[in-house]
Amino acid sequence: MTSSNFPLKVDYCGVCSLPPEYCEHGPLFDKCKEWMEENLPDEYARLILNKTQEELEAMSLNNSKKKQTRGGKAMKNITKKQEVQKQVVVGRSMRARKKYVTLVRGLKTCDMNLKKCSKAFGQKFACGSSVTGDDEITVQGDVVDDMMDFIVEELGIDDDLVVDGGDIKD
Amino acid sequence: MFKKFEAKESIVGTNQIKNSVQRSIRTKLIDTYPNIEEYINDILPKKVNLKVVKCQDHIELISTDDEILFFKKRDGPFYPTLRLLHMYPNMLPKVQVDKGAIKFVLSGAHIMCPGLTSPGADLPEECLPTDTPVSVHAEGKINALAIGHMKMSSDDIKSINKGVGIDNVHYLNDGLWRIDL
Ligand SMILES: [Zn+2]
Repeated sequence: MTSSNFPLKVDYCGVCSLPPEYCEHGPLFDKCKEWMEENLPDEYARLILNKTQEELEAMSLNNSKKKQTRGGKAMKNITKKQEVQKQVVVGRSMRARKKYVTLVRGLKTCDMNLKKCSKAFGQKFACGSSVTGDDEITVQGDVVDDMMDFIVEELGIDDDLVVDGGDIKD
Repeated sequence: MFKKFEAKESIVGTNQIKNSVQRSIRTKLIDTYPNIEEYINDILPKKVNLKVVKCQDHIELISTDDEILFFKKRDGPFYPTLRLLHMYPNMLPKVQVDKGAIKFVLSGAHIMCPGLTSPGADLPEECLPTDTPVSVHAEGKINALAIGHMKMSSDDIKSINKGVGIDNVHYLNDGLWRIDL
């Protein structure tokens, strides 16, 4: 080994914090995939696009089994029954140690197009931004305060509807 | 070692490490891992203050201000954290488990011999003696998924091929991986 070779730089998944090749074993594989496609296109090509259909199915099977054991299903049903209320929650969530992502939830309730918002966030904050759920956008880094301003000023959403969710556990 | 580790409950206290002790840790590390001698000043810069984070169960973490680098239990060897190992993968001898073993290793299980001797697995030619720290890789993956401690020698693993061959001391997404200083 020569000095120039080390330390190696290893990219970690912005969603589950593992090296992306291990995302398939984490609980959030679908979110990981979206993040990877946006932020680590080379890894995405190597790990996802190169796989045969069968391999992919085996991977998501692996994953869905895990999801069920965590009993997430009941929770989902409850949230569906609740009335849709217009509200945008901006919070942050810790990924790897001291690394935060900013989560924006509820833009759909204000009739926003998530894809377009995500793109605008990425450009505004010069960082990775991706749609990570039915009504959730994840932005790399802790930009909660600026994000709230941006949503009010640029997207024109009423100040009262934008809530600071603090530290969000997901 | 870190399966049930929760930073809030498990950390007892943090102390600065004196310069003299810092030097002896450095010497010990080079002793255990001769491969890192030329990088030791990158890994543990001389000017940086090292801290020891004391935890329950006689576990100690060696860290800089923002990064945990090594850990040990009682008088055991210093193990690198997985993040450090990913940067310097040649630090430890490598073993490889087959695909089927990955999910067990990631749930913290110790590594059974058959998972180390099947066609997808790999053990080095030369014998790894008992108590050697090893980096645990997996079939088809680039990065290590765990750090292990040889419970049997690798020759015994090959010949006996039964029971736990390697103790799983630190794995991706365990309490140490998720710790926030
Ligand atoms: Zn991931």
